[in-house]
Amino acid sequence: MFPGPTLLSAMTAVVEGALNRALELDPAGRKALLGALTGPVQFTLTAPLHLTFTLIQNHDRVCVSSQPAETAALELTGKPMAFAALAGGDDQVFQQGRIDVTGDAALAHQFQRALNQLDPDWEAALATHLGDVPAHFIGQRIRGAVKWSRQAFSVLNANIEEYVHEESRTLPGRRELEATFEDIDQLSLQTDRLEARLSLLERPTNAEPPETP
Amino acid sequence: MSEQQTPANDKQAGTPQDDVTHFGFRNVPKTQKAGQVAEVFHSVAGKYDLMNDLMSMGVHRLWKRFTIELSGVRPGHQVLDIAGGTGDLTMKFSDLVGTSGKVVLADINASMLQVGRGRLMDRGYAGNIDYVQADAEHLPFPDNSFNAVSIAFGLRNVTDKDQALRDMTRTLKPGGKLMVLEFSKPTNPLLNKAYDMYSFNALPLMGQLFAGDSESYKYLAESIRMHPDQDTLKGMMEQAGLVNCKYYNMTGGIVALHVGIKP
Repeated sequence: MFPGPTLLSAMTAVVEGALNRALELDPAGRKALLGALTGPVQFTLTAPLHLTFTLIQNHDRVCVSSQPAETAALELTGKPMAFAALAGGDDQVFQQGRIDVTGDAALAHQFQRALNQLDPDWEAALATHLGDVPAHFIGQRIRGAVKWSRQAFSVLNANIEEYVHEESRTLPGRRELEATFEDIDQLSLQTDRLEARLSLLERPTNAEPPETP
Repeated sequence: MSEQQTPANDKQAGTPQDDVTHFGFRNVPKTQKAGQVAEVFHSVAGKYDLMNDLMSMGVHRLWKRFTIELSGVRPGHQVLDIAGGTGDLTMKFSDLVGTSGKVVLADINASMLQVGRGRLMDRGYAGNIDYVQADAEHLPFPDNSFNAVSIAFGLRNVTDKDQALRDMTRTLKPGGKLMVLEFSKPTNPLLNKAYDMYSFNALPLMGQLFAGDSESYKYLAESIRMHPDQDTLKGMMEQAGLVNCKYYNMTGGIVALHVGIKP
């Protein structure tokens, strides 16, 4: 079955090495993540890949295993894209039910917070190989490029939304839609009240009055 | 298969059939096999790690890593690493069992044990590792002592494999896991041919170039061919009293990890 044990071990070795290297560059993040790994945390990937990875704390390192834990403190199950979104800092994956959580929910939140807090100092790692000045130069350019691409992405989103809602009128505007939904809710409530009132009036008038002591 | 790869039938003159075993493709008296294997490992001990990396192109680390992942060893566990050699598995087990657990590195060969001990000490592994020179067929440990027993690339060198499997099972605690990592039979015929060519031509050449000893690596290739295949070894483990026995083929079956549980 693909991937075989050798390839799985290669994958876990690469992930483990990269994760621990990143944690070395962020001591505070490492402390937070190790604090969240009080027990094994198991990730179960569903379709299209059926794989299981387990994170285990081993002294000041995080070990990655391709085998399920015997007693996982926390088990997260979802599609690979949902885990990619979680790794990218998307907090909505749990609320939207894209990732199922089994086990200690508080630990899941602690783990999520620890992941969000991770901020490895890549510039320091680069500086050990290239020197401070070139590393800072490259770091600035990369930070600038990342900031620009984020900004460009959000502007593009806003422009598309505005075009679809306001200019082409393909879809109703957000506020317009919210007002309509509110009206529908109100109407539904009023209908319910009216129905309740009608059923009260339809009750037989010759019904015996309640017994009094 | 070339003539070189065909097991010889040169029975020792005057030696009964039951008293001989194979040493590579040759048959030798059972009493002599351990000594001859010991000579091989005395010869290669110094360059063992380098040769492992060269011959497997580093993939032996992944095979061992998978074994560790599957072991389920946790802090506080007692682990026996038989034929532990230069201590690759022992090192990982030592990390996993922590200070509350114990790992025993056992090897029949004093040279290998010495190299392993030196290597582990140099890397700061101490306190939870014991070193024992022991024969896998007669393990000097009480019954039900270990949570996990591993033997990596060692079983094919053992004279009486059934006896060794029985003794390993004896030392396991009920519920304990035996893991046998060993060369096996490639499942793809094309890979098998390429593997044969590599084993019988490249390995002895590498042995000569890097370790100054081609005979030991010729023995390695031959002993792999004489080792039981995946299903036979699984049957032997069941005969030894283990249950839930299964195997995992790695790198197309060049290596297989057999796992069994003591009931």
